[in-house]
Amino acid sequence: MKGLRGAKLGEYLLTILVVVTLNFLLPRAMPGDPFLFLSGEEAGDIIVPYSEEQREQYLEFYGLNKPVVSQYFSYLSELCRGNLGFSLYYNAPVSSIILNRLVWTIFLVLAAVLFSTLIGVALGCISAWYREKWVDKSLYTLMITISEIPAFLLGLVLLFTLAAGLGLFPLSGAMTHFADYRHWWDKAYDILHHAFLPVTALVIARLGGMYLLSRNSMTTVLAKDYIRTAQAKGLQKKRIIYRHALKNALLPIVTRIFLSIGGMVGGAILVENVFAYPGLGLLMRQSVMYHDYPLIQGIFLVVTIFVLIANFTADLVYGKLDPRVGQLGVAEK
Amino acid sequence: MSKQSIQFDGIKDVSQFKLYEIINKSLSLIQRAWKKTYGFIYSFSPSGKIGLVLLSLIFLMALLAPWISIHPHRVSSGPSLIPPAWPHILGTDELGIDLWAQICFGARVSLLVGISTALLAGFVGGAVGIVAGYIGGLVDKMIMRLVDIMIVLPDLPVMIVLAAFFGPSLFNIILVLALFSWASPARIVRSQVLMLKEQSYIKAAEIYGASPWYLLWKHFLPEVFPLLAVNMIRLTGRAIVAEAGLSFLGLGDPTSKSWGLIIHHATSFRGIYYTNFWKWWLFYPWLFLMLMVISLAFISRDLERIADPRLGKS
Repeated sequence: MKGLRGAKLGEYLLTILVVVTLNFLLPRAMPGDPFLFLSGEEAGDIIVPYSEEQREQYLEFYGLNKPVVSQYFSYLSELCRGNLGFSLYYNAPVSSIILNRLVWTIFLVLAAVLFSTLIGVALGCISAWYREKWVDKSLYTLMITISEIPAFLLGLVLLFTLAAGLGLFPLSGAMTHFADYRHWWDKAYDILHHAFLPVTALVIARLGGMYLLSRNSMTTVLAKDYIRTAQAKGLQKKRIIYRHALKNALLPIVTRIFLSIGGMVGGAILVENVFAYPGLGLLMRQSVMYHDYPLIQGIFLVVTIFVLIANFTADLVYGKLDPRVGQLGVAEK
Repeated sequence: MSKQSIQFDGIKDVSQFKLYEIINKSLSLIQRAWKKTYGFIYSFSPSGKIGLVLLSLIFLMALLAPWISIHPHRVSSGPSLIPPAWPHILGTDELGIDLWAQICFGARVSLLVGISTALLAGFVGGAVGIVAGYIGGLVDKMIMRLVDIMIVLPDLPVMIVLAAFFGPSLFNIILVLALFSWASPARIVRSQVLMLKEQSYIKAAEIYGASPWYLLWKHFLPEVFPLLAVNMIRLTGRAIVAEAGLSFLGLGDPTSKSWGLIIHHATSFRGIYYTNFWKWWLFYPWLFLMLMVISLAFISRDLERIADPRLGKS
């Protein structure tokens, strides 16, 4: 068990190292010369002539005159100190810009995971209880269709019908600009009002998977003998579902919660761009538009590590909840 | 003289007979093939049939794009931003380019990206999976480690970064998508090969001196192919969605106008929220994208059920 966890940890650390190395190599493998990019021209229509002295100075400043290996190690040590570089466009340290934006993305993702889990599990329970009845059949068809639609296409519909068409929700942003709130609940309402549509899009996109999983899991549990015993004892429907069945059906669902945090990041990046929500996804698009390479790299690193941590937690939780997993895993190897 | 003519008639008869036989044979072949496809389609669920019809319509659209679109898809052919009306059946965009023509040609881009990604990833992933499963040992361990790494990495951020650094072109997009898609076919094929390797008929063939190449063609591929094909259809859908997302961000290939790129142009138009233009400019590419994604999903769900009956029952 412990050995397995150690192996998993090693695997994830290796993955992080791969990502960091990729991040280090990409700008160096990129076609073009950093001095052309610094001059603000794309692909050299006008080449601003740097004097040899200036060139030397810049090479010295960015440490580009050292061998690649020592550049790599200094990059690693800077990373460990939390230094992600300096943004060219915003003229601020990358790490502080990212920290400001990261909050919003985490807020979106966590809210979406929470609600999609609650709604998905509830619907899955209903569906499993009324198996093969019309409720189950219609829910199943609906959910299968919904589960395949990408979140940003859903977001576009919500944006243009509810926000632009009916004016029920704000078009963009996370808060009203220059608003002075009288109470903290005004501010909270404003934030929730802005977050409602993006979260809804993410929830609907994730709902189908959650529903199918909990329906499957519940169906297996409901077929067990102890459920029949509970029914024979004359227990209430609610009590059977929540106390007897759901507790045992939760295992795969809990694992999926953590996995879906990682999976949702891709969707969140796109949805943030649909609603101009000021999270990391929007920042990433903007930094690509402005050719702000240090910022792109920083965001990439943060997002990837965020996803990897979520996936690692999923592995850990799964092993913790179900002692069979660890042994099985060892037996397989 | 008469004998000769009889002989001649005889030869003619024989040849005619052979001709009939050949025709009969080929007819029955066609019939059988038709019956087989018919039975295959018949085993689809209603949603799968809808998916098949929609997808073949989109295929036809892509194939016949130059003939079914009256207007050019790159240059202006009328006033800008007019609502759907004859001869611009889906309206025009801000430059006065016909939307129907753009959507027809956009279908080509989407299908091209989806299919070539799936083929590339399927072949590479299949080959890697067979190698890992058949050789085993250290090679298998290393490959599986790599597969694990590829599966936990989020693909969209990497695609954005690569598009930012290497410039967006259709070729790059396909390459990156394939790079992020080969892991799941590799995993599936490997587990299948591991299972097959222990079967007694394969062991028997090995003892009789069958070369790995022979085993691959005669035993592994026929068994593995259905699962691989189903997985490739899933990959097609994923690749199409990923390309649309990337184009929506404005990071797609600017020279090939995909559906995602039309949506990008529409949403970056300044007045789009305050006018009615979205009702055709945004709606139709969105609609076609949805139809494509949903029909692919329906088809792959049905195929999964047919290829592996255990999956569909749940």
